[in-house]
Amino acid sequence: MKQNLTKLVASILKEARIIGRDRQALFLFFVMPVVFVLILSLALRDAFGERPGATFPVLVVAGDRGEISANVIRAFRSNSHLQLTESDHASEVQVRQWLIEGRYMFAVLIPPGATEQAKRRIGEMAARVPKELLTEKPVEVRVLADPALRGDYRKVLEGALSLALHGVEMRLGGEQLDQLLKTTLGERYVPMPDMEQTPVFMPIHSEVVTKERGDPTPTSVQQNAPAWTLLAMFFLTVPLSVSFIKEREQGSLFRLQTMTVPAWVVLGGKALPYFVINLIQMASILAVSVHVLPLLGGDRLDLGHSPLAILVMGASASLAAIGFGIAVAMYARTAEQAASFSSAVVMIMAALGGILVPKAVMPPLMQDLAVFSPLSWGLDGFQDVFVRGGAVMQVMPEALGLLAFSALCHGIAILRYESRI
Amino acid sequence: MNNPCPFSMQHAVKTGGVAAIELRQLSKRYKGARAPALNGIDLTVREGGFFGILGPNGAGKTTLMSVLGGLLKPSSGSVLINGQDLQRHRAAIKRVLGMVPQEPAIYPTLTARENLEYFGRMQGLTGKHLQSRVEACLEIAEISGEADQRVEHFSGGFKRRLNLVIGLIHEPRILILDEPTVAIDPHSRALIHQRLRELHAAGISILISTHYMEEAEQLCQEIAIMHHGRILVQGTVGDLLAMQRNETIQMQLTGDPPAALAQKLQKLPGLQNAFVSGRCVMVTAERPDEIAVQLMQTVHEHGLGVHSMGFGASSLEQVFLSLTESKAEK
Ligand SMILES: Nc1ncnc2c1ncn2[C@@H]1O[C@H](COP(=O)(O)OP(=O)(O)O)[C@@H](O)[C@H]1O
Ligand SMILES: [Mg+2]
Repeated sequence: MKQNLTKLVASILKEARIIGRDRQALFLFFVMPVVFVLILSLALRDAFGERPGATFPVLVVAGDRGEISANVIRAFRSNSHLQLTESDHASEVQVRQWLIEGRYMFAVLIPPGATEQAKRRIGEMAARVPKELLTEKPVEVRVLADPALRGDYRKVLEGALSLALHGVEMRLGGEQLDQLLKTTLGERYVPMPDMEQTPVFMPIHSEVVTKERGDPTPTSVQQNAPAWTLLAMFFLTVPLSVSFIKEREQGSLFRLQTMTVPAWVVLGGKALPYFVINLIQMASILAVSVHVLPLLGGDRLDLGHSPLAILVMGASASLAAIGFGIAVAMYARTAEQAASFSSAVVMIMAALGGILVPKAVMPPLMQDLAVFSPLSWGLDGFQDVFVRGGAVMQVMPEALGLLAFSALCHGIAILRYESRI
Repeated sequence: MNNPCPFSMQHAVKTGGVAAIELRQLSKRYKGARAPALNGIDLTVREGGFFGILGPNGAGKTTLMSVLGGLLKPSSGSVLINGQDLQRHRAAIKRVLGMVPQEPAIYPTLTARENLEYFGRMQGLTGKHLQSRVEACLEIAEISGEADQRVEHFSGGFKRRLNLVIGLIHEPRILILDEPTVAIDPHSRALIHQRLRELHAAGISILISTHYMEEAEQLCQEIAIMHHGRILVQGTVGDLLAMQRNETIQMQLTGDPPAALAQKLQKLPGLQNAFVSGRCVMVTAERPDEIAVQLMQTVHEHGLGVHSMGFGASSLEQVFLSLTESKAEK
């Protein structure tokens, strides 16, 4: 046993040496995944869940200083997603230029004297002036939008603007009615109740309804950091299986079989260095997500409260990936076969498991299918920690699933190794 | 299975002690293969002996070596190493065996020294003993000067020399080499030959496969000629060389002869040895012309015709070529 452990250590050192001398592999193992996470987390940051800090710039040109401007500004200011700028004199030409330059994504132009104009029009209407003879035109509030502004956001802004203008309309109409009642009723006049003080409707609070546990939706970085960690880990099966097959093709594996080296020493000597690489990959991706991403304007990854749970998940996912790689190596005939097979299977498992496309945006059938991908178990486990603040107990189902997958793969691989002799 | 070896001269083998390697009716058929790669091999390498297996590509040499190295399970038959059954005493036997595979089995991105150290550790060597064995092996291969270069930059000859000494790292008592000098420069080949002679002189039992006639003649005490998984002829180099001095008749038959033909021919008066291999028959005799008529009669009795017939002297090379090529024609 002691002798076999020395052999295991020697095998690990040998493998580490071989990997260390392969510059291309080192680049792929460590630089690629980190770059991926940075790019994708930044690129997709608005495509995920609610981001309190994600704002886009809106300009309100308040040509009048009356109620219309006040109401519109109040409505937009209450929305935390908007970064509001007010101006009282910018020309339309100027505003168009700003939009083209990208300074604002949405601009509302309220013409000078708009409130007065609205009041006069309501006054004429109250005086029963026939429609054709109205001298005052309807007030024109113009909106300019950046084409890059997503259509659904634009609709939301237009809705908010309409609501604000309707509010003004209601109030001005109410004032006019009030005036009318006062003059006609004289003594018997009682003022209208103040709608703002005693609202008819309760303020709206939406409740998020989900299948389980009241899941918060993951943010971009909460999706991307674990997703790409898992993908990087599972992609390591390609170099792992290729190096195994190369060793077979070079004959060194057969040479080891002519010596008294048990299968677990050979497999362990191969697997452990890759296990360490996997953990380094995870550490570097998480470190970048915590420390570098915020510097580049992205969200900082919140690691939750349980470093141990992260380690448990990382270790189980790595063992699952390694088991898969070794099993592929045992059955593939050539290195090319192993490389193309394992990368294809990993990509499919990644797509299915919500790594490439978040499960939240998949239709229910696909979400159910995701259960078949070990990468999905890994992602769920990491998100238990990052999104839901889970600890070791909460990640146990996922971790045990990954470990069972790993054991199955290793079992299949060892059977094959022994049967070859 | 009938005796696949129509002619053997094994009397010299039976000289005392337990044989280093003994194969009994060893057969191996690869999964899905039509013909067996090894077909009833009987072979004995005595202790301290130097045994050569001579055969063209595809003869089954590597398969045989792989069975001996424990890499392949035989389909039937037994392998005894130092009198112990290979299947049952694998671990003990592996320690006394040194294998030198046909293709250099080395890590290209490691240096020669790192390769030797790694395989030495895998053989259970440690510490000072390991270091002294590594140095010794580097010297045997004459690559001490290149010990710290990566093997991928080595020439073919250097790789084969390293491949050889990795098989020696644990000082095995029995050395099994699969075509150790294929595609190699003359200097490296001479060095390997020299080292093998030294090992032989030191009492190591050696089994080597080759497809070079003169290599077998120069190095080995005993030779077996192998083809299509069978041993066609085996004996001491002296026996085989004696055969060279005889006159031969070669015949090409019109159909496949029955298995018993060789034995029948063997009984003809005046005939020394008879080989039947596929449709090719070769006999040796002191006066070939005197037995030619009888020979043809025996063939006719089996309902076969003679396609062609020729007389001539044989060299070991010719024996080898006619035996192996006639089968390859089929
Ligand atoms: N792994 C294998 N699977 C199937 N057939 C094989 C395998 N290895 C060798 N063979 C076949 O077995 C026969 C003997 O091959 P081999 O032992 O390599 O011959 P040699 O070493 O004398 O050139 C050949 O016909 C070869 O095609
Ligand atoms: Mg061969």
